[in-house]
Amino acid sequence: MKTTLLHVVPPVSRDRIISHFPKWYTPEACLQFKDHFHTQVGSACQRRNTGAVGLKISKVVVVGDLYVGKTSLINRFCKDVFDRDYKATIGVDFEIERFEIAGVPYSLQIWDTAGQEKFKCIASAYYRGAEIIITVFDLADIQTLDHTKQWLQDALRENEPGSSFIFLVGTKKDLVSTAACERTELDAIHYANEMQAEYWSVSAKTGENVREFFSRVAALAFEKSMLMELEKSNSRMAQIGAGNLINIEGTSLEASETNHQANVGCC
Amino acid sequence: MRYAKMAASATTPMAPSSGGSASALSMEEIRALTDLSDLEAAYSRLCAEEKAVEEELEMLLNQQCSIESKMTALHRIGPNLQLIEGDAKQLAGTITFTCNLAENVSSKVRQLDLAKNRLYQAIQRADDILDLKFCMDGVQTALRNEDYEQAAAHIHRYLSLDKSVIELSRQGREGSIIEANLELLQEAEQRLKIIVTKKFDEATRQEDLPQVERFFKIFPLLGLHEEGLSNFSEYLCKQVANKAEENLQLVMKTDMSDRRAAVIFADTLTLLFEGIARIVETHQPIVETYYGPGRLYTLIKHLQVECDRQVEKVVDKFIQQRDYHRQFQHVQNSMMRSSAVERIEPRELDPILTEVTLMNARSELYLRFIKRRIVSDFEVGDSMASEEVKQEHQKCLDKLLNNCLLSRTMQELIGYYITMEEYFMRETVNKAVAMDTCEKGQLTSSMVDDVFYIVKKCIGRALSSSSIDCLCAMINHSITELESDFGEVLCNKLKMGFPATTFQDFQRGVTSAVSLMHSSLQQGKFDTKGIESTDEAKQSFLVTLNNLEVCSENIMTLKKTLESDCAKLLQQGFGGEQAQPKIDSCLSDMAAISHKFRDLLQEGLNELTNSAIKPQVKPWINLFLSVSHNIEEEEFNDYEANDPWVQQFILNLEQQMAEFKVGLSLVIYDSLTSLMTTLIAIEMEKVVLKSTFSRLGGLQFDKELRSLIAYLTTVTTWTIRDKFARLSQMATILNLERVTEILDYWGPNSGPLTWRLTPAEVRQVLALRIDFRSEDIKRLRL
Repeated sequence: MKTTLLHVVPPVSRDRIISHFPKWYTPEACLQFKDHFHTQVGSACQRRNTGAVGLKISKVVVVGDLYVGKTSLINRFCKDVFDRDYKATIGVDFEIERFEIAGVPYSLQIWDTAGQEKFKCIASAYYRGAEIIITVFDLADIQTLDHTKQWLQDALRENEPGSSFIFLVGTKKDLVSTAACERTELDAIHYANEMQAEYWSVSAKTGENVREFFSRVAALAFEKSMLMELEKSNSRMAQIGAGNLINIEGTSLEASETNHQANVGCC
Repeated sequence: MRYAKMAASATTPMAPSSGGSASALSMEEIRALTDLSDLEAAYSRLCAEEKAVEEELEMLLNQQCSIESKMTALHRIGPNLQLIEGDAKQLAGTITFTCNLAENVSSKVRQLDLAKNRLYQAIQRADDILDLKFCMDGVQTALRNEDYEQAAAHIHRYLSLDKSVIELSRQGREGSIIEANLELLQEAEQRLKIIVTKKFDEATRQEDLPQVERFFKIFPLLGLHEEGLSNFSEYLCKQVANKAEENLQLVMKTDMSDRRAAVIFADTLTLLFEGIARIVETHQPIVETYYGPGRLYTLIKHLQVECDRQVEKVVDKFIQQRDYHRQFQHVQNSMMRSSAVERIEPRELDPILTEVTLMNARSELYLRFIKRRIVSDFEVGDSMASEEVKQEHQKCLDKLLNNCLLSRTMQELIGYYITMEEYFMRETVNKAVAMDTCEKGQLTSSMVDDVFYIVKKCIGRALSSSSIDCLCAMINHSITELESDFGEVLCNKLKMGFPATTFQDFQRGVTSAVSLMHSSLQQGKFDTKGIESTDEAKQSFLVTLNNLEVCSENIMTLKKTLESDCAKLLQQGFGGEQAQPKIDSCLSDMAAISHKFRDLLQEGLNELTNSAIKPQVKPWINLFLSVSHNIEEEEFNDYEANDPWVQQFILNLEQQMAEFKVGLSLVIYDSLTSLMTTLIAIEMEKVVLKSTFSRLGGLQFDKELRSLIAYLTTVTTWTIRDKFARLSQMATILNLERVTEILDYWGPNSGPLTWRLTPAEVRQVLALRIDFRSEDIKRLRL
């Protein structure tokens, strides 16, 4: 990752810049209600006090039944294309999408897994360390909603409990009537609440809600990782006071070295 | 005269002829003049005006003669002009004539050009008709002589003729003859097609390669590219099938003791792929020459169908013979950790896992080969094609590569492989942990090397499959294994704590015993071997610290090796466009694990300092309090002879650290001593602030501190001066002659010395000197 720092990174495209906290899709199933960044995060971003800039990256894993449109959803967002032909994903696909959130560069690493049963062995190897789990179902196929619980369970097994944000996404909104969509959404919201997930309805074909959804994902992931980073640096500060950690030695060593030399000069 | 002039000037008061100063004086004005001087002035003005007018007149009169001469000249020119007009009219007439002439000529040239073109066309058509005739005759003779190449060439010539020409010829006067000829030709074409197809089939049946190739070359001449390719590939497929059948028969007969028995199916696949590759290699030039570039895709598409059929057979046999599915089921059941099922021995999986990766590697190699061939063939063929055609071809190629049964079968096998490999790794790691031993004199125990050998082997095997997805999956599993299972083992060992020794407080011993019980219960078994003696427990704790360090380093080494291995793999062209970021992502997780182990090591060291060093060091330092530093000359000398504290303290330290120096690696030992010196500095400060000093007592403390620092400098590699800066400054203060002397070192006089003590602390230390008066200290302005 260091090598990417050495290259001149092109600026983030305009629609990947997030300056206001994106809103939820429905208040009945959402992870957070607030509409602005955490004050600590906001101020840290303003101070540009964000540690190693450009290295912030979160892992997103997309799971769900085959043919619900996981790859289409990602392709609509990352490449802004929609391919009518169904091409089964083999094993896992992978995209990196760069953002600029509150003035800080940030990336999402999106792992697109295969929905076919025969690829489960290989796909499940990629679940670990996911900051975001996106479970996808087809709004036009209610059975796929039933299966999301199993998918989520599999994905959670590889992660520490409570370490990931969960999203439940209904795709192919363009294929169902408004009334049918609303009915399915009621069920889905019920599921989402059980899964402690945030619910979204999208259409990869028309692009409806796709950008909004990923912006929300990025903002939530960003805020969380920033909070963790800040907490870490705070605790590090506290330990410096206590002075019982080796890793401070490096810095104090240098300090003492300069002191030492100064003393020599005096004599 | 004057009056006339005046009148003139009055009527045209502003006339230019009156010069710049128009006669401003009218008669009335003159009449109105009464004053003499005014009259004179007016007079003189009028005189001047008159003069000017006269001058002007003179000048005009002078010009008269020149104007007259010009007039005569003009009169003379008059007749010449008439002459010119006549000439010009004549010229215009000539030009019009010439123009008409030119137009006439060019129209004739145009007509000539047209005629010429028609002539050419006529010649062309005559040629074509002659050709047609020639072809027809040629075909007849060639067919009679069974010279099919010649016949095909004639037909090819006929096919490439302009159809409209033939149509036109038919309408000509000799239409009937040509029509008859054409019919004959078409008939010959049909006949030739039938003959070639028949002969080709015959040749294939007899497996007569020269004949097959001979007729294969004729197809494109008859415009039967697709048929030719499909017939030819059918022939090739048959050969592939025969060979594959033979190989499979050989496999079934192979003795299990054979050297290659363990990878016999991978070998069979290799033979199959090599056979196809050889066919492509040998026949590509023919296809390219006779069918043109861009046709290789069609040939390979046909061949791939046969390849898939054969692969399916081999893989089916493989699954059947090696019991692949049942083994997978077995592994899956064992993974559920239900002890009811008999667990599968991981070692038994070893050969089959190797074989699967080898099979996949061969397939990847083969697919890469055909991909490269087709891409370069398309590149030549599509050099002039539009972007859409190129994309269409690319899509076809991707579809062929990704959707062929070979890829799908291999993906399935690899899917099962990953689960089995994960099981293999987990079980073997657990075994290595269970068999963990630490030989005397060794800093680390056997499981570290064993576990990393296993992880390296598993990842290496995944790497050898040449599948990036498979590799990344195994890297992820390895990280999980190292983090959860193996990490937990090390963590639990640390949780047992460093056992309390006799000196240590009772409290500490109890908590460590409780945590020991706790962790043993967590592990699900009561470790009877456990901690039989404190020595062993100590040893185990120190070994765990060393293990953690080595693990952390091993992970980084493994990461580096993998990085270079992957770079090599990618250079060879394996993996898709996103392969590099995929690998980077997985490997960066590996670095995170390494840091986790390092953090754990740090925690362990802190625990060691708190439980083993602090309880010992603290009483030793407290002994300082029992040595009076409120001393006179006599005691000072006595102290010099019989050291009251510091030598013993140093001795104790040395003894204590000796145990750690032997048991810990150099790096960890360094960290530990550094922690210890920090501890000593803090504790020393506390006791110093509890003591009182005389002038000589201060000197004594200074001496003691110096020897302590000197000793500690020898045992640590890092400079410790910084840690003892505050204490050194305290010693300086306690050594002062007078209270005010501090001012020589303070504030602007401090020079390069940075005070680590606050003014309040300085006062506090000064107050420790019994001979310093508190008023003097209070009066100090710091």
